[in-house]
Amino acid sequence: MPYNTPLDMKVLARIWEISGRMLLVWGVLALISCPACSRPEDSSKPPERPAESGPPCYGDTLITGSIGEPSNLIPILASDSPSHEVAGLIYNGLVKYDKDLKLVGDLAESFEVSKSGLVITFHLRKNVTWHDGQPFTAADVLFTYKTMVDPHTPTAYAEDFLQVERAEATDPYTFRVTYKKPFAPALASWGISILPRHLLEGRDIMKSPLARHPVGTGPFIFKEWKAGEKVVLTYNPDYFEGRPYIDRYIYRIIPDSATMFMELKAGGIDNMGLTPLQYARQTEYRKFKENFNKYRYPAFAYTYLGFNLEDERFKDRRVRQAVSYAIDRGEIIEGVLLGLGQEATGPYKPGTWAYNPNVKQYPYDPVKARKILQEVGWRDADGDGILDKDGIPFRFTIITNQGNDIRARTAEIIQRRLKEVGIEVKIRIIEWAAFIKEFIEKKTFEATILGWTITQDPDIYDVWHSSKTKPGELNFVSYRNTEVDALLEKGRRTFNQEERRKTYWRIQEILAEEVPYVFLYVPDALPVVQARFKGIEPAAAGITYNLIKWYVPKAEQRHNKLKADS
Amino acid sequence: MKRALAKEFWRRFKCHRLGLTGAMVVLLLFIVSLAAPVLSPYDPSYIDIKSILEPPSYEHPLGTDQLGRDVLSRIIWGGRISLMVGFVAVGIATVVGVFLGAMAGYYAGYVDTIIMRFVDIMLCFPTFFLILAVVALLEPSIWNIMVVIGATGWMGMARLIRAEILSVKERDYVLAARALGASHARIIWRHIIPNAMAPVLVAATLGVAAAILTESALSFLGIGVQPPTPSWGNILTAGKDSIEVAWWLSFYPGMAILITVLGYNLLGEGIRDAIDPRLREGRG
Repeated sequence: MPYNTPLDMKVLARIWEISGRMLLVWGVLALISCPACSRPEDSSKPPERPAESGPPCYGDTLITGSIGEPSNLIPILASDSPSHEVAGLIYNGLVKYDKDLKLVGDLAESFEVSKSGLVITFHLRKNVTWHDGQPFTAADVLFTYKTMVDPHTPTAYAEDFLQVERAEATDPYTFRVTYKKPFAPALASWGISILPRHLLEGRDIMKSPLARHPVGTGPFIFKEWKAGEKVVLTYNPDYFEGRPYIDRYIYRIIPDSATMFMELKAGGIDNMGLTPLQYARQTEYRKFKENFNKYRYPAFAYTYLGFNLEDERFKDRRVRQAVSYAIDRGEIIEGVLLGLGQEATGPYKPGTWAYNPNVKQYPYDPVKARKILQEVGWRDADGDGILDKDGIPFRFTIITNQGNDIRARTAEIIQRRLKEVGIEVKIRIIEWAAFIKEFIEKKTFEATILGWTITQDPDIYDVWHSSKTKPGELNFVSYRNTEVDALLEKGRRTFNQEERRKTYWRIQEILAEEVPYVFLYVPDALPVVQARFKGIEPAAAGITYNLIKWYVPKAEQRHNKLKADS
Repeated sequence: MKRALAKEFWRRFKCHRLGLTGAMVVLLLFIVSLAAPVLSPYDPSYIDIKSILEPPSYEHPLGTDQLGRDVLSRIIWGGRISLMVGFVAVGIATVVGVFLGAMAGYYAGYVDTIIMRFVDIMLCFPTFFLILAVVALLEPSIWNIMVVIGATGWMGMARLIRAEILSVKERDYVLAARALGASHARIIWRHIIPNAMAPVLVAATLGVAAAILTESALSFLGIGVQPPTPSWGNILTAGKDSIEVAWWLSFYPGMAILITVLGYNLLGEGIRDAIDPRLREGRG
């Protein structure tokens, strides 16, 4: 499901969550988390406060490790989290989420929503310039809107902007949009990165040099991108919220988490997302704790086992329910996440207002699973331990992407449990690009383990609506339910939160009953930051929401020489 | 006559200490692999999340992996996979290599040219990437792996046998057979190939070692033997991510691969030294 990119909090950025990368990405972005679910274990919170470690000062470099490399730094064209992480420091939206996950102005100094909710007026900041010195105006916003709705723009995020009836720049610093019908995610959708009109207008966006050399309005200015190695950003001295304390931000690409962890300890990077094993077993000693601060909070994401509902066997709801009963979620959380996560029961994060805690549960019950399968006609007629029906044994393949050890091990545990009820599972692990293009988008899979990030707005139209089942769209399991369709439509057409809550709670009841996905778990984000960085204040939004306020006391700065070099 | 040859071979081989050691290692591996169901203390795919990554102990002599499975059992069962891959792959390579090599060597002329140029072309492919490409197209499975390793490993064999045949086919007994009116097939099968097999035997033994290494590498990369089937390569992969907390997960499968490959290589060298008259003379 749609994902809010972290650093920039672009609400709209709907991203396939890149998994191998997933834990790492969160580490970096760590931003999203909900206050209600902050856990007491958060004791790893750093004791440092700006007040205790002297006044903030400028200098030093923050080096972040990432498993994945950005694909395109024009964020509307990219759907992987590394691109959005980096682009989020370079661009701004009109609005953003603050540390408590409330929508506040970003490039918009203020905004007004009309009583009907159909008209939003943004009053833009007047002192903003692009990194190349050109002034930022409403014309840039209008251009971004037009680009989004242009059918020639290959963006995955057009849907929200197609709801707009009219968009106009009434003066250089006022931008107004009018919607045909009430559209609940409207305001949040303007968190999208605003693009520079003067560099893109009249040119083919697909061939724009901005993809490799972006120009934005954000706190950091793009400096260089060494393919397969790193992306380097430097501070923007004219940033409208004040320049970041940190001089440089380097995004290092290290495609292996064990190597990355060694780099962290060797001082080659300052920040990464830990794996559960690293968090629980490799960082619990004094020297590490002196040098690094670990954080832990539930990620805004969930992992699931999705069935291809076009497959005859999975068309029967009872078969899916049986599979759900046969899987022991507690075992996966304990064995694979080492307890660093919680069970998922639906597409929302436990504790948020959209989350319905009372849906049908599927506790581990292999006896019941067998019984249901028998009722449907799956019996072990030939005595080989595998159920069969009309002579065809119950065998299927679970695919997942390469680079995510957690998912591979989850698959192995599911494989073993399903074997116990007589279903033989094969596991196939596929490289990310081929996985998405050849299997998910073309729907040539039987079942898959994958994750979605959870957006702040509960609108999940793109993932569950029956109109979104075409190749390449996000409802790739081909789930079709007329009641869910109607509810999804209803949920985005009202601004009343209580009404929306009821709508989305009902959707969760239906999903729990029908099991198009077996919802598995909500993992914890486990970011770690080198201890010399001060000013980090974990909040509902995670830790990176105030990256520009992070600083390193003069005496502890490490990379000032580097700065002179460059 | 044959028995005398075997005796002669044995007499020389048993003096070759390294070769003997290799033979013993290989024999031991065979026994362990065949007796895997009896020898392995646990079911190699039994997941026990209560005992994740436990260091070697009395219950788990080589420790446990990330899903609490017994590493010793997995290595023992993994050995079966390695042996099977080694033998089937080399079997395929030998059949293809001997057939094409014999054709090229015996018929010479344009048959030889076509076959040997084809060999050259095949040799130009970076084998490992060819395997990667094939496995990406087909589904990764142990059978595909064996076929692919075999199908990309026959060229050396073909060249060897061709060279051997070029010299054998001019010998008197071949000319005699031809004069007596024997068919080409009979000459090749009865008279030439048996006398050209010595280098093939050596190449095959060494080839087993190479095939085991390739399989381990493919499994290490996640495109070889698929879980839950254990193989040395995929145990190593799991070990790589937790090398700092669980050395046993990398060390033991790594040692298994090392010892096995070394064993086959030593055996191969021993055999070569024992049957190759030229080498023997060379050494004086």
